[in-house]
Amino acid sequence: MKKIGIIIDKYHLNHKVTDFLKYLKSIADVKIYLEESYFLNSSEHNFDEDLFFTKGKGDVILGLVKLIEERTSIPVINSFKAAWLAINRFLNSTFLRKAGIPVPDFSLNPQGFKPPFQDYIIKNIVDQGVYKFAPKIIEEKESMRVADKRALDEVDGKEHQYNFLYYQKFIKSKWEYKIYGIGENVYFYKQLPVLINPNKTESREKIDEIPELKEYCLKAMDIMDIKVTSLDFHKSQDNQFFLTDINCTPNFNYLKDGYKIVADYLLEQAKN
Amino acid sequence: MNIGILSKRSTNLAGKIKKYYENKGFNVTIYTLEDLTINESLLSNDFYILKSKNLFFLYAGFFIDANDVPVIPNPQITFLQKNRIQSHFLLEKAGLLMPRFYFSTPEILADELDSEDFPLIIKPVMGSGSKGVKVINSIQEIKADGKKFVYLERYIEGTHYNVYFIDNQVCTLIKSPLFNEHVDMEKVETPKDINDLIKKWRLFLAENNLFGHLDIVREESSKELYVVDPGSFPEFTNWKCDGSPVEKICSLILEQAKKLRNKSKK
Repeated sequence: MKKIGIIIDKYHLNHKVTDFLKYLKSIADVKIYLEESYFLNSSEHNFDEDLFFTKGKGDVILGLVKLIEERTSIPVINSFKAAWLAINRFLNSTFLRKAGIPVPDFSLNPQGFKPPFQDYIIKNIVDQGVYKFAPKIIEEKESMRVADKRALDEVDGKEHQYNFLYYQKFIKSKWEYKIYGIGENVYFYKQLPVLINPNKTESREKIDEIPELKEYCLKAMDIMDIKVTSLDFHKSQDNQFFLTDINCTPNFNYLKDGYKIVADYLLEQAKN
Repeated sequence: MNIGILSKRSTNLAGKIKKYYENKGFNVTIYTLEDLTINESLLSNDFYILKSKNLFFLYAGFFIDANDVPVIPNPQITFLQKNRIQSHFLLEKAGLLMPRFYFSTPEILADELDSEDFPLIIKPVMGSGSKGVKVINSIQEIKADGKKFVYLERYIEGTHYNVYFIDNQVCTLIKSPLFNEHVDMEKVETPKDINDLIKKWRLFLAENNLFGHLDIVREESSKELYVVDPGSFPEFTNWKCDGSPVEKICSLILEQAKKLRNKSKK
């Protein structure tokens, strides 16, 4: 049996991977590397896995992934580069736009400086913790302005970290297109935007392939070295798609047989 | 030519660089954290100087560079020297010796470390220099300061050097352990092995090797040289060697900017 190491945090282990682990253990030897109990020592390591899978993006997880990448030739899905770019919104927007993928206009401003566009959503700068998006709508006259509570807390609240806010131009869209990329396969869903219906799964439906989104998805995965991902797209009133979010630890339970698709993909990669 | 400087302060070295270029007829703007807005508005300058490793200046550097405006020093190399874990592997890749590190929760560190592992140095994982750096002699002294994980490094007993380099010139000073580059230091003749180490580092940095500094410790017992902190843009406060560091680095930056601008035009 192939050996697969799962690098994970407590939250994902307890809430997101039950079916996935049950199935993976039936087809591979699985070893768990739990972030909260892992002792990262730069001088001592002894890995005999055929492949690692990361399900988390905390600092020890990133450090361990970096160590494996630097000291061994064992493949890691997703890589350090993938996780680092995914959690740094400003960086992924910068590199995706440079690669020709349409992303909404964005700006990083000190508190008190408004962005050069009228409608916007304020998002957290480093998307690293475990958190559910908590939008606060701030409508001013004709404008649509939304802020994620965590982003505001990082500037004003108890969790003060920065004096900067990340603004993304708000693209009004009837649907939010949820695209999953697993290896070379792309899966298509749509749902009502969270601002319209906070229950994400209630309106979610599988849709036919949209070639344009498939192209963007595979291109983004290539640029960011991300092998397992979910991407959110909004469609503007003039029918242009915009990539609003890219995730390196997607919840594949929302995908039909998602746990099996991911596990089979990992096993296939471990054999290569 | 319009030059932007990304710097925490508009005084000190950034202020001197501004003055130097203004005297040569350039227009210079210093962007501090108080007025830095990172979007297309930054693209009107001809090149940028990335003086600080602060996250937001790094973001600005990456953004500007991605839009084909030269940034000196290179933002990617600067970033790799900011995160301690990344810089450990970067220096290792260059063939240099680094102290071993441990990274985990305070509880796991308490379980895994023995008394003979001490003394250790506690450092912020993102950062450089002496801020938040402290020697600890027992597990009881580990303070997470609200952070979930703690980064610890083996403390190397020995002679501490602050080594600046500007182009081929190396300037070596002996410093007190754990102090930043601003305390007064004694200039010494650069030992051959330190000179070789700097050469190795510059060779590894290739076109990004204009200037910088390394904090180096010669271990008392083994006499081996350990790099404990790299720096991409020191203040050169203790430059006690020939010539003015401001003039030297400004000329190197200008030359590099011209090369990068020609490259991007092609």
